[in-house]
Amino acid sequence: MLRRQAADQLPHRTLLGLLTVLAAVLLPHLWRAPLWLTAVALALLVGRGVVSRRGWHLPPKLINLAGAGLAAVAVTAEFGTIFGRDAGVALLVLMSCLKLMETRSRRDTMIAVFLAYFLMLTHFLFDQSLLTAGYMLVTGWATTAVLIAISRRRYARLGAAEGRLAAILVVQGLPIMALLFVLFPRLPGPLWGLPDDAHSGVTGLSDSMSPGSISQLSQSDAVAFRVRFDGAPPPPQKRYWRGLVLADYNGEDWTHANVDASPRPVSKRAEPVSYTVTLEPHNERWLFALDLPANGPGTGSLSYFHERRSDEPVRETRRYTGRSYSEYRLQPELGDRLRDAYTQLPADTHQRARSLARSWAAKADSDGAVVDRALAYMRNQPFEYTLSPEPLPDDHVDGFLFETQSGFCEHYAGAFAVLMRAAGIPARVVTGYQGATESAAGDHWTVRQSDAHAWTEVWLPESGWRRVDPTNAVSPERVESGLGAAVSSDDGAPTMARGGEASWLRTMGRTWDVIDATWTGWVISYGPSRQSGFLSAIGLDETWRLVAALAGGVMAFMGLFGLVLIGQQMGARDPDPASRLWRRAQRQLAKRGIHPRAGEGPRDYAARALATAPELAATIRQVERYYLRLRYYPRPSRDDLAQLRAAVRQLARERRRTTSR
Amino acid sequence: MQHRLDELFRQAESVLLGKGDTIRLAVTCLLAQGHLLIEDRPGVGKTTLAHLLARLLGMRFQRIQFTSDLLPADILGTAVYERDTNRFVFHPGPIFAQLVLADEVNRATPKAQSALLEAMGERQVTAEGETRALPEPFFVIATQNPVSQLGTFPLPESQLDRFLMRIEIGYPERSAERELLRGQDRRRLIEHLETALPPEQLAAVQGDVEQVHCADAVIAYVQALLEHTRDSGAFRLGLSPRAGQALIAASRAWAYLDGRSAVLPEDVQAIFPHVAGHRLQPVDDDGAGASNRARQLLDQVTIP
Amino acid sequence: MRWPVWLRRWMQRRHGDTGASAVLHYRRVYILPTRQGFLFAAILIVMWLAAINYNNNMAFLLTFLLAGIFLAVMNHTFRDLVGLQVTPLAAEPVFAGQTASFPLQLDNNARTARTDIGVGTDGPEGFYDIPAGERARAVVTVITRRRGRLRTGAITLDTQYPAALFRAWSWVDPAVHCLVYPAPETNGPTPPRRATAGGLLGRRTGGDDDFDGLRRYRRGDPISRIAWKATGSRELQIKEFSGGESEELLLSWLDTADLAGTEQRLSRLCYWVLEAERRGARYALSLPGREVPAASGPAQRDACLTALAEFEV
Repeated sequence: MLRRQAADQLPHRTLLGLLTVLAAVLLPHLWRAPLWLTAVALALLVGRGVVSRRGWHLPPKLINLAGAGLAAVAVTAEFGTIFGRDAGVALLVLMSCLKLMETRSRRDTMIAVFLAYFLMLTHFLFDQSLLTAGYMLVTGWATTAVLIAISRRRYARLGAAEGRLAAILVVQGLPIMALLFVLFPRLPGPLWGLPDDAHSGVTGLSDSMSPGSISQLSQSDAVAFRVRFDGAPPPPQKRYWRGLVLADYNGEDWTHANVDASPRPVSKRAEPVSYTVTLEPHNERWLFALDLPANGPGTGSLSYFHERRSDEPVRETRRYTGRSYSEYRLQPELGDRLRDAYTQLPADTHQRARSLARSWAAKADSDGAVVDRALAYMRNQPFEYTLSPEPLPDDHVDGFLFETQSGFCEHYAGAFAVLMRAAGIPARVVTGYQGATESAAGDHWTVRQSDAHAWTEVWLPESGWRRVDPTNAVSPERVESGLGAAVSSDDGAPTMARGGEASWLRTMGRTWDVIDATWTGWVISYGPSRQSGFLSAIGLDETWRLVAALAGGVMAFMGLFGLVLIGQQMGARDPDPASRLWRRAQRQLAKRGIHPRAGEGPRDYAARALATAPELAATIRQVERYYLRLRYYPRPSRDDLAQLRAAVRQLARERRRTTSR
Repeated sequence: MQHRLDELFRQAESVLLGKGDTIRLAVTCLLAQGHLLIEDRPGVGKTTLAHLLARLLGMRFQRIQFTSDLLPADILGTAVYERDTNRFVFHPGPIFAQLVLADEVNRATPKAQSALLEAMGERQVTAEGETRALPEPFFVIATQNPVSQLGTFPLPESQLDRFLMRIEIGYPERSAERELLRGQDRRRLIEHLETALPPEQLAAVQGDVEQVHCADAVIAYVQALLEHTRDSGAFRLGLSPRAGQALIAASRAWAYLDGRSAVLPEDVQAIFPHVAGHRLQPVDDDGAGASNRARQLLDQVTIP
Repeated sequence: MRWPVWLRRWMQRRHGDTGASAVLHYRRVYILPTRQGFLFAAILIVMWLAAINYNNNMAFLLTFLLAGIFLAVMNHTFRDLVGLQVTPLAAEPVFAGQTASFPLQLDNNARTARTDIGVGTDGPEGFYDIPAGERARAVVTVITRRRGRLRTGAITLDTQYPAALFRAWSWVDPAVHCLVYPAPETNGPTPPRRATAGGLLGRRTGGDDDFDGLRRYRRGDPISRIAWKATGSRELQIKEFSGGESEELLLSWLDTADLAGTEQRLSRLCYWVLEAERRGARYALSLPGREVPAASGPAQRDACLTALAEFEV
């Protein structure tokens, strides 16, 4: 191999291309990274450009080595480790920038480009949205163009031709990508212990509720999950997505209790609703199901509280089916011990709320009447439903009920449960989502974080656990039309949740939602389990079949591809039809051992063929006659061509017949 | 017309035993309206061939023996002072004939050589300040000894181009030679022959030859051959476009003699060594001779 | 890249000589990943493991897309070379010790350009870009050591285009040779003056004593005798002399008997040929079993040098 001389180093223009591409690849990381890292990376990139512009020498290897050591130390200082997602990415960013400082040989430069490819992958650990995918496709194309430019052995030129070829390569890579994506066996991960920060940054409900926790979540437009109903969707006021049941109360927070028992009996009153949920990962074990989920097929299990649970934290997009009863009777019998537990309140709390509740209980003749009384109180008092409530005093239930009277669903649900328990009625808080938006395409419903909700369940002797949503009493629009309709427009509800006229932003957002839903439903959620399902559906459940299909697919693609390429390269197709037929005749005769020689004229060849294959003599003479006439004589007729074609076909037939004997 | 040509060949072969191919090439050259150079050792029948053609074609024949003291005037003619009329009168030289045999051209000085060659090229003679046209048809057969022989002035390359073809005769085959030794003197045999193709018919045949179809595929082949001689680096100088025209003209004549109305690649191949041989100079002459190198070249160029 | 001898032999048996012209058929084009190619594959595997570990479908997509690009690059690399037509051209003779240049004509008969084609015997000596339907002229050089007929041996044509992840290559073994003349002796004695047999034939030869007149230049005349003044705008004129001894040299093997080895003797003769030609003399060469008759001019020089180069080889 010829050594690349000093003079052959990257031309300035190509280097600028490389720097630009690397900057583009790093950009989303620099957004997330600590400030010092962004600064250092940018300084290195700019510095490399200046070195090239001025024609300076690159720093000696030792300095680069020291730089690498320094980078490791700095990353350790920042993250406490050099392993794990965030630290690893930071280190990789620094290393790839440092690698640019020693692009002495073509191989060094290529390694820098390979690092850029790897960095593209790391983005997906933070964000798998379609937008990121598109951005990465563009940077991938640009990186490939740079790779083409720097891999030249003579002069690394970056121009339009390289860009075009890179696009061709990417397009040609897509079929293989699709094939491997669908068929290449997915091993269930992780292969080794995932670092703690692997899935941080995902949003969702937590297993406890305190004032402000849900209104915080509601600020987000992110998709929580998508639903496809098998039949007609339930009416809006029945679209409660049960998540967690919070039965423990310490005077501040409602928390979830793990009870190791099977779900309570339920008596159904109507046919169940069937639906499919595509859940975005939220790194917790709970799933969401329409109130009230039934035991049935699909992933996960039902808990004691009739919550749908997953065995594993949801770390990849997950798709599951469910069945729910909109009319039901849950746990008709409640023992005294449980009754005590569900009416328990910490001592010395919420004195004003307790006395109010007790006064209602004394006057009412049934538990149901107490519930109605409490709801009427909330409806009649000037309660305000808002995402930004006023700050609460120490006893937040009393403060909310009697002083500020402004709050979000968790304030109402929490306060209502406290009132019920004070009145001796078993009560608990349920969190989940309420509502759903129909997609623009109309084939599914989207539930966003802004639909996060909390409500209460009270136990009444005649009907078991019954859902009571105090928010509905204060702001019926919330339940009917969603958050945007319920809060004032300057209250900070996210775009997608906002009501009013269908703004173009919302229209665009809804169109985007369709695309994103398709993307998520088909690509992101295609994990090991769905793959094995798909493979067995198409009959590739046996290993050897899968291997054969994979290998066959790749080979078929490469073969087809190669055939076209080689066909193109072996010389352009002869424009003269007579010559093509003549070549065909020669190929036939070559199988009979009569190979054409260089510089041999058609008449000589035919004479040789006649001597070697007398059994084909008549046909050979025909072929020769019409070929000579077409190619060398003036004004050949169309009929001659037909004759030649017929003669060549005849020759092929006779040749096969005579050689097979 | 074909039967007259057949008759011509039959008679010619009865004199020049076993030299059918040579005769055919010579006639090809004639039909293509080009001049012929025969290069071979003395005594293989060069002069006989010229005599024979002159006789069979009924042409006025002149022979010029080239020697080292031959002067241009000996070829072209001189103005002679006539006492009676008191002025110079031009006496035409032997070149004013329909078929001129220039024997051993490479024995003469370049001055004499160029006098002949210029006349061949122009088909007219300029002497004593006056231009005189040469007769029609006008055909020169020049013979020369192999160049490596001593005491010769090889023809310059630029002049060689004026000969359409160069052929060799070679020794006769054994049987033909025995026949030759046994039989009469060839010269006397020739005297008994009759004209097979008189000049006016020759002109008609030459006109027919020009009508022979030369397809684009053949032209492409000729062009490929020309390009190969220029690009392959095996020759000092590649063939000129004029050589290309010569190839096509000779191929037409060859195809005509074969009784065809169109040129095939095989026609080009048949005449190529004889048309190209004397126009090419191999870079490293391995002794095979330029004609052989030209023949080898045919195996290297694919026919389009 | 050096290939083991047995592999080269096998290749030679497989493909034979490249006589007139060879098209690099797909069966004689080989392809393997480069070191960078293996590195790229290794990085792909690491990316794949990361994708599994984080159960990240986008990472899978990216990894598989790069795998697809990897395969596409292989096809493009192969295509860059396959179907290339290689025609060895004749090589100009050189003196031993000089560098012989073997020209190759590269014809791209395809509809797409070929890029970065490396040509050389021992690693690429030059890189050529050939647009669609065009041709390029590549040169392979070999330093000559001894006289005779020199062949290049196998010439490697290779490419790493477009991404240097793969290298496709093919061998051709042109059946052309370069004539290597003996190295001329330096500071040898002047060639011996001796009349040749040609002088006895009574041919009029140019002496150099008395000026006899002018005649037209003809091929082979020594340049030293051109009458530049008389030439003017007309054809070149040559001064003719008569009488005196003719400058006709016989360069004979026998006159070099004082030298020990064959090669030294050939070197001296080589020097004499060049010297005689420089002086514009007519000269003949006599070797055991080979005579070159007297003449002068470049053709004579080449004939004599060829005889020397091929002596007893």
